[in-house]
Amino acid sequence: MRSITKYRFGIMPTLLVAVLSPVPLLAADGAEIIKKSQAAFYEAGQDMKARVKMTLMAREGQQRLRDLTMLRKNYPASEQKYFMYFHSPADVAGMTFMIYKYPNRDDDRWLFIPAINLVNRIAAQDSRSSFVGSDFTYEDVSGRDLTADAHALLREEPFNDRKVYVVESKPIGPAEYTRKLSWIDQASFLPLKEEYYDVQESLYKIFTAEEIKDVQGFATIMKRTMSNVKTGHKTEVVFERIQYNVGLGDDLFSERYLRRPPEKWIK
Amino acid sequence: MKAPWLTRFSVEKPRLVIALTLAITLAFLTQLPRAITDTDPKNMLPETSPVRVSNDEVERWFALPKDVIVLGIVNNDGVFNRETLGRIAQFTEEIFKIPGVVVRDVTSLTTVDNVRVEEGQLAMRPAVADIPRTPEAMAVLKQSLLSNPLFINRLLSPDGTTTAIYIPLEPGANAKVIADRIRAILPKETGGERYYLAGDPVARDTFGIQMFYQMAIFSPLAGMVMFVVLWWMFRNLTLVFSVMGVAMVSIVWSMGLLIGVGLPVHIMSSMIPVFLMAIATDSIHIFNEFYFRFREVPDKKQAILDTIRAVGRPVRYTALATAAGFAVLAFMHIIPVKIFGLFVAFGTVVIRLMSFSLIPAVLTLIKDERIRAVSRTEDETTHWASRRLSGLASVGLTRSRLLMAGGLVLLAGAVLGIVRIHVNNNMVDWFKPHSEIRVADRIMNEKLGGTSLAYLVGISGEADFWKRPEALRYLEGLQKDLEGMAVVGKTFSVADYVKRINRVLHRDDPAYDRIPDSATEIAQYLFLFGMAAKPSDLDNVVDYPFEKINLWLNLKTWDAQAMRDVIARVRAYTAEHPLPGAVFRPAGIAYFNLTWNDEVLSDMLRGFIIALFLVFVILVFNFRSLRWALVAYTPLLFTILMIYGAIGYIGKDFDMPISVLSTLSLGMAVDFAIHFVGRFQQRYAKEPDLEKALLWTAARPGKGIMRNAALFAVAFSAMAFAPLTPYITVGLFIVSMMLLSAAVTLVGIPALIVIFQEGLNLSSIKEKTP
Repeated sequence: MRSITKYRFGIMPTLLVAVLSPVPLLAADGAEIIKKSQAAFYEAGQDMKARVKMTLMAREGQQRLRDLTMLRKNYPASEQKYFMYFHSPADVAGMTFMIYKYPNRDDDRWLFIPAINLVNRIAAQDSRSSFVGSDFTYEDVSGRDLTADAHALLREEPFNDRKVYVVESKPIGPAEYTRKLSWIDQASFLPLKEEYYDVQESLYKIFTAEEIKDVQGFATIMKRTMSNVKTGHKTEVVFERIQYNVGLGDDLFSERYLRRPPEKWIK
Repeated sequence: MKAPWLTRFSVEKPRLVIALTLAITLAFLTQLPRAITDTDPKNMLPETSPVRVSNDEVERWFALPKDVIVLGIVNNDGVFNRETLGRIAQFTEEIFKIPGVVVRDVTSLTTVDNVRVEEGQLAMRPAVADIPRTPEAMAVLKQSLLSNPLFINRLLSPDGTTTAIYIPLEPGANAKVIADRIRAILPKETGGERYYLAGDPVARDTFGIQMFYQMAIFSPLAGMVMFVVLWWMFRNLTLVFSVMGVAMVSIVWSMGLLIGVGLPVHIMSSMIPVFLMAIATDSIHIFNEFYFRFREVPDKKQAILDTIRAVGRPVRYTALATAAGFAVLAFMHIIPVKIFGLFVAFGTVVIRLMSFSLIPAVLTLIKDERIRAVSRTEDETTHWASRRLSGLASVGLTRSRLLMAGGLVLLAGAVLGIVRIHVNNNMVDWFKPHSEIRVADRIMNEKLGGTSLAYLVGISGEADFWKRPEALRYLEGLQKDLEGMAVVGKTFSVADYVKRINRVLHRDDPAYDRIPDSATEIAQYLFLFGMAAKPSDLDNVVDYPFEKINLWLNLKTWDAQAMRDVIARVRAYTAEHPLPGAVFRPAGIAYFNLTWNDEVLSDMLRGFIIALFLVFVILVFNFRSLRWALVAYTPLLFTILMIYGAIGYIGKDFDMPISVLSTLSLGMAVDFAIHFVGRFQQRYAKEPDLEKALLWTAARPGKGIMRNAALFAVAFSAMAFAPLTPYITVGLFIVSMMLLSAAVTLVGIPALIVIFQEGLNLSSIKEKTP
């Protein structure tokens, strides 16, 4: 009984969203919410520039720091290009990494290794590969294909003084998780929390957004954490000096700039 | 001189004594269902023991799983075909679903990352992501995987016929249960594949389960055989029940107390019932004497009291010697060894108590005419067995010097055998050669690097130490040196990753299959590796600040000796080629097994040696004479030396079962001598004729000794059919030990007494109070 009541209350804001948005009424479901959430999370603005501080923490309290500049530009048809420049650890300073992201097919990636002055294309599995040894996968950094999962709106509930949608996503093909629950803020559509369950139906990874700030009119997660509850390992990511619509040129996302990234964009 | 009050009381109020014994036994019996078992040999060392603390620390540093099960898949036509690869993919998916399996770290061809060159780009994908559809594509895949040194001898045999799935377990998971779930996944009908489950946790947990099966089937079986033999000897069921009853009472009291105070039943404590059953057979001496007495003294009560008066002292001292021998173990370091010693000692005291109470009470209640018929044949001068025994003893009398010389020659030979013994333990060898576990282990060791895993942790005090080219080259050299050992099947470290990436980044050029020359290059390669692989791939071999590395070693045998050799080799290598700023420390299950082997076995050995001294002291006390004690000590010492000499000659390791056996020999071999010498002295005091007294002793108490030894031998022969080799070893050695020590007692002691009669001062022998 209880869940039905909740569902009835919950359906009202969903309907409102559906009415206000240009999509058909029937699509006001889990997939729609996830789509909006991905837009808010991964696609804000025309482009973006941020300094990212990533702290990898082992259960033992050992830490590894990754300091990078992240540049992102949106293209039509949901394509995106990412450019990353690593400042630290010191011995990897100058390594650069570029992703061309396409919906519904594998990304293209290039890595520049300054020690041997070599640009290499890299093919790897997005869904499980860790991003630079952290608890985030590549998908967690740049977004997962919307159609790779079946999404269902489970309920609406209050979460840390905000109203959220709780959406369940189940992968259609093989994936690292078998079920993901997302708590999505109804106002900003940013995910406030995600829980990942493995094949044994047991919770193994939790994403939390600890700090959200308005940046040039875009609600932006400034601090996020991914914790692996099984290994006790976690990764904290802090965005600093984030700017939207800075006017990144297309030529930046090229092999030439991978080798010699322009000073003005990476500092 | 009177029999002890307890015996007099038991003869007066037999029903009360039996009822009381039953009541107490029932009280202990209620505790048995509360038993908790702990079959993990690891727990023989406390959690605070240095090796466990150190291994836990290494597991935390490198995020290593505690236990790993290995599923081997062998296809003699090669695993590179659609069916086999398909099944590997399917098994991996199914294994993911088994509770207790660490999903993220299951390593198989379908989950492990393969770093390779693919169409001009660097590809990091599972080794088998999609199963090729064409023979050409299959050939490409095969070539690609077999040329990746990271996989060879770990995930693939060099000939491509064998692969493995490594299944790490969550802490506390029961490997036997998980292994059974995995077996259920494997198809009954297969193409050309055979499947093998190996790994320490499977062996350990299977052993634990088998051990209790052993306890439940073979201990009662030995008991039943004893029952039949006893009946054949004494032809009276009540009497047979009472011998068995004494054993059962002591077992129930000891195990009930052990469980009642909340101790878990361990591998060692599971042997307590078998030991107590063996020790309880000492009560045969009472029946033996009683049958003789009953013929001579028609009044049954009087016969009982006379019997106890005659055998009371030897029974008391054999019990004391046995109890003291085991009680010594309580002062050792290893907790299960202490518990084992203490509770066997307790059981021995219970047996002695029963000898003076329950047995006389039962004898009182037996109908006279029933035993009179049987006891009629019990005459030391006419019965065939007694005549044989006197004959045996007369050999000792007449050929004493020859026997002595022969004994000394045998002893010299035994000493030569003993120096060949070496302390070693191999848990997989506890299973029979054709058991599933032994076969799996053997095949996996033949095909892949080895199922026994050891770690070598390189510790420096400095961050980024292990990014230096010279440090990684050092590792490379050390690995090469260790791989030169026959027992080392595979080594694996962060240096292997660096070499692999170097080569792949240079278009798979074999010239780059080496450690690069600059630390920056190494750092950037590892960073690149970290950008694609699972975090655990790197975490398992190097810590966060690159201050410590973890070198993996696969050993081809579970012998503790193998790890000892590895450690010696590392020590020699580091002495010859010092690496300033770093030290190496062994870890892992193989290292644990070595430490366990050394600590548990040396503890047992130390306890055994102390007990040997203690038993001698008790003999001196018993006979009030150093010389007589030496005479009575001879069968024990001779038997032990002979058995260990034989162990040395046949090349059997001094392992856990043998060490347990050693302690039992204490309790047994000395008993016969105590009875023999004690009863001889009694007889000689009555009638000082050396020859007659010796022959009488051989014929009458000697018959008890022979009955005891025969009973033992037959009952424990049943253990030869046990499913686990330690029980077979223990069974067979007990049998040979009993027969040997009985023979030495019956022949050797008369010989010694004859040779040293002057020194032994026979004229001073007086009957001692019991």
